[in-house]
Amino acid sequence: MTAAGPPLLRGTGLAKTYGNLVALDDTDFVVNAGEVRALIGSNGAGKSTLIKILTGAVTPTRGSVEISGEIAPLGDPSEMIRRGVACIYQHSNLAPAMSALDNIYLGRQPTRRFGFVDTRRQRLQAEELLAHHGIDIDLDARVGTLSTVKQKEVEILKALALEARVILMDEPTGWLAGADVVRLHNTIRTLKARGVGIVYISHVLDEIFAVCDTVTIMRDGRVVAESAVADIDRPRVVHLMVGEKLARESADAALKQRRPRGTGAVRLSARGLGKSGVFADVSFDLHAGEIFCLTGLIGSRRTELVRTLFGSDRFDTGTLEIDGRAVAPRTPLDGMSLGIGFVPEDRHREGLMLDMNVTENLAMATLERHCRGPLLSRSGMVRAGRRAIDDLSVQPRDGSKMVRLLSGGNQQKVLVGKWLSRGPRILILDEPTVGVDVGAKAEIYAILRREREQGAAILIVSSDLEEVMTVADRIGVMVSGRLVAVHDAGSVGMADIVREIGGGSA
Amino acid sequence: MASFFRISAIVNMRSASAALALFFAATIVFFCVSAPRFATASTVENLMSGFSFVAILAMGQAFPILVRGIDLSIGAIVGLVGMIVFDLSLIGQLPGYLILPLALLAGALAGAVNGVLVVHLRLQPFIATLATLAAYRGLTYAISGRQLVPGLTTTPIRDPWLTGIETYFDVGGWLGLSRLVNMPWVPLSFVIMLAVFVVLQVLLTSTRFGRDIYATGGNHEAARLAGIRVNNVIIAAYALAGLCAAIAALIMVARFTTATEALGAGMELTAIAAAVIGGVSLAGGVGAMFGPALGAFLLGAILIGLTLQGVPQFVQQIITGAILLAAVGYDRLLSVRRQRRLTAASTAAT
Amino acid sequence: MQEEKTNDRRNFLKTIALGSAAVAGVGAGMFSAPGDRSLAIGVPRARAEGTRYKTAFIQWQPHTVPAAWSKGIEEVLGPQQVIDYELLDGQNKVEVQVSLVETLISQGAAVIFLQPIDSVALAPSIAKAKRAGISVITLNIDATEPHASHVEMNHYYGAMDIAKAMGDAMGGKGKVAILNAPPGIIIRDQRTNGFVDGLKKHHPDIQVVADQVADWDRKKAQDVLNTILAANPDLGGVYGVNDSMALGAVDVAKEKGLLGKIAIFGNDGETAALESIEAGELTGTQYTDVYQQGRLAAPAATVLATGGVEAGAFAQQSRLLMPYVIATKANVGSIQPSQRW
Repeated sequence: MTAAGPPLLRGTGLAKTYGNLVALDDTDFVVNAGEVRALIGSNGAGKSTLIKILTGAVTPTRGSVEISGEIAPLGDPSEMIRRGVACIYQHSNLAPAMSALDNIYLGRQPTRRFGFVDTRRQRLQAEELLAHHGIDIDLDARVGTLSTVKQKEVEILKALALEARVILMDEPTGWLAGADVVRLHNTIRTLKARGVGIVYISHVLDEIFAVCDTVTIMRDGRVVAESAVADIDRPRVVHLMVGEKLARESADAALKQRRPRGTGAVRLSARGLGKSGVFADVSFDLHAGEIFCLTGLIGSRRTELVRTLFGSDRFDTGTLEIDGRAVAPRTPLDGMSLGIGFVPEDRHREGLMLDMNVTENLAMATLERHCRGPLLSRSGMVRAGRRAIDDLSVQPRDGSKMVRLLSGGNQQKVLVGKWLSRGPRILILDEPTVGVDVGAKAEIYAILRREREQGAAILIVSSDLEEVMTVADRIGVMVSGRLVAVHDAGSVGMADIVREIGGGSA
Repeated sequence: MASFFRISAIVNMRSASAALALFFAATIVFFCVSAPRFATASTVENLMSGFSFVAILAMGQAFPILVRGIDLSIGAIVGLVGMIVFDLSLIGQLPGYLILPLALLAGALAGAVNGVLVVHLRLQPFIATLATLAAYRGLTYAISGRQLVPGLTTTPIRDPWLTGIETYFDVGGWLGLSRLVNMPWVPLSFVIMLAVFVVLQVLLTSTRFGRDIYATGGNHEAARLAGIRVNNVIIAAYALAGLCAAIAALIMVARFTTATEALGAGMELTAIAAAVIGGVSLAGGVGAMFGPALGAFLLGAILIGLTLQGVPQFVQQIITGAILLAAVGYDRLLSVRRQRRLTAASTAAT
Repeated sequence: MQEEKTNDRRNFLKTIALGSAAVAGVGAGMFSAPGDRSLAIGVPRARAEGTRYKTAFIQWQPHTVPAAWSKGIEEVLGPQQVIDYELLDGQNKVEVQVSLVETLISQGAAVIFLQPIDSVALAPSIAKAKRAGISVITLNIDATEPHASHVEMNHYYGAMDIAKAMGDAMGGKGKVAILNAPPGIIIRDQRTNGFVDGLKKHHPDIQVVADQVADWDRKKAQDVLNTILAANPDLGGVYGVNDSMALGAVDVAKEKGLLGKIAIFGNDGETAALESIEAGELTGTQYTDVYQQGRLAAPAATVLATGGVEAGAFAQQSRLLMPYVIATKANVGSIQPSQRW
């Protein structure tokens, strides 16, 4: 790596405590001009606290931040923005009912006298920005009507319009797939060439090795290592992130334990499934004892497809057979009675009761089993919960802990466990490891493999090709609502899949 | 992927207000045909003079709703400002040109207090303004000049600066239209309503502040992180609602030549209904000024039309409720349909 | 005793008769001044044969008193085939009443009966109605704008007589409490002032120790009186500004075994109050025949609607005070069932 420019942002001795909990402990952090610095660590390592301090969302207990050599006042988002620190968050931070143009200049529209927005100047500036970065967006479209990829671009434009000198990117590719990741990385390189400092936070190590210059690794609220990316290798990074024991397991996970197709009976068979305007003519079989991954771009209708299998939505055409019987689930309850478990993509909004405890969440799908007459048997729930917590190694091993307080990975384990407790014959998981750290990912894979050994048919929707290549027995590729290819995982390379995802033309 | 569709469930304002205008026109036509003496100049006059202040209240109410709040206290602010005007004029003997700005200031302040409670005490807007509803109404009784000074109960306010608001202009006569058809005289309160409409609409669509309102209501966190002083925006939204309540109070005082302690009671609900019928989403961030104003006149036209038809008042209230439900339902239908269209479009595109 | 009772009855009937005569006289004077038709402003009164005349009563809010008025008005207007009558509800809101008046104006009503919520607030609407050639008759609460006629229960003098009767019952000394209406209403002031002035005049030794708001409401009156009694256990009299509140006081007295020890008076004279008096619980009330009040207003309306008297043709507003009687156990039996409302 070339020597980076002068330091743009320097945090010194930053610490944040919440009561007895130390979220961040005496951390130094530097970003130089023209540097892309990766910030990685397991969930709970202190990354988000550090980011929140740098954006002004949180006031640190101790420490100071210098921006371009000037001490910045802390805990004031607008002050940080004024000084050129912008952040692109993992979740959308756009106002969906406003136009792309208004969102780009959210809170800082150029004005004439009396606070009137100078719409002409605003548009000219935005068009210049679009042209300069080769981004194509309909400025007048309401953001809510844009695709997720375009929304991400709007957020980037928002930061660019700030003339930000430091851009923090939190899981910027979390919702993107294939070609769009590459496109984003190219944008990052352009910014870097113009002397912008970038902090790149991601769980996807491939991306870090692809685009970052330096890496800061955090664990337990501390920086455990800083290095140039060129001087470090992948096992070492994982090792530093997760510690000794988990690192070994992660390495094991790389050992493919694939099974040949068709080991078990056909559990679920779709023939010519379609839903008007959404997907069409989808046919595939799902066998007992296999993991079948559906991959594709965001918007390729994988989620919509699997929702109709479970009964959250309905398909219009085609037939669906489960265990040889033609069915048409109309509600999630139908899906459950057919032996299907469904782990939705957005665990906070669709999967978990965040303010209920672990035991209660685990029992949510199996309450009828814990009933004695009209009353719930608390002790039965607790027993079942304790067993599941051990099986899934949920941390901490405390059934009375509120789910909101768990890390993302452990929340996901609880969600998976909730469905496993029903002993589903078919388990559908939608993006099961988004926002989950490397260690927890490996644990979730292990759980899924164990279920497979016990004869479950598992269908995973995933955009993470690393995950697909690691865990799948068979891989299906969806493009624009059609299932364009199905492969045995052992006989296909990642490059082929990438090509097919992109439309298969190349 | 699921989140992509949730975000897309936005409300297209234009088609909603077009539908409202259409419904308004249909209502007018219906009553013209079916209600005796509905299609007269004097009915139009009644509608303009009796519901302009409701329209102003509804437009004011739209601001707290736009920032994902609600203001239940505007009816009480009307009462409070009315009583302040009453006291200043009849007890204080202040000239009207001094009372007018003081009244507006008092309304804006009362509104700002709501905003401060919501922002700084982190109270739910519903609870905060329910509390101030009681407090402002109590304060109105406490400062009531009708009780402090005997005899004022039967003394009308005669200050021309105040009563002058209840003036009618023979616009039809000026334009020479009166020779052709019997034209309604236009009350000043209607002109004030139009002025308020223009100012607030420009404020919403063409100024920084307007964008900040939409941003704060549409995505509070995003607005905060974009450096918008969301707290100030919210306080300003409530202050505007209070200001509009003060304008409405002045119109009512001019109309009645007095203020009662119960002035404006229950009007907050009418204003909220008009705003919601006018397409202001209770989820925040969606809506404009045209809808609430027209919504108020729609409610007014229905009340007057049904009274002329001799329909009992409790039936009128049921019908008002049904229209409110229909408006919310229609809004929902639009967003579902749009979601489908969007789904279909992006399938075609990819 | 027997002698006294017949005397009372005779007095009562005499009062009614005299009152009616007085009303008739005023009424005659009122209508005997025909205005020049050509001077009429607004909607001309010339109507085609077979035209129906529209009249309406805008009440304050639903209550026994306006309901009885409406019944009395309907009794008279109902058989008159050319006159339509309807009852409208002001919902206790000034702006609703004003809007209803304006709607009636554009509807071309002939006469509006009005129980104004506020004397001043409705004045501009009454002026507007007059300009449109519509006569307005107010019931119980006067308006500051002069109009055709005002028919009132006689709040002030009635309350003075209540004070006198209560003082008599208390032996001319002791403490009394007033269960009052919410402030800002003329009736409240007229009745309270009448009561206080009556005490001053007839029983200067009686002291008003409490004057509290009980919202016209029986239940609220119970709570309020309980509080008052806690502070003044030796209370000798209670004046409820309407019968509902007085009956609330009766409930409290019954519960505490104070019946007979406290003189409790109401106002208006609704059926429930009269029955309570007969049962020996309520001491007395000011009774007005409210049906009669409606019946009195109605013929005036007929003349105004169909006759030759124009809405703007009054030099002076007529003011009809209803005859009343202080009903107590002694004379309540003479109020006939048909007079009870």
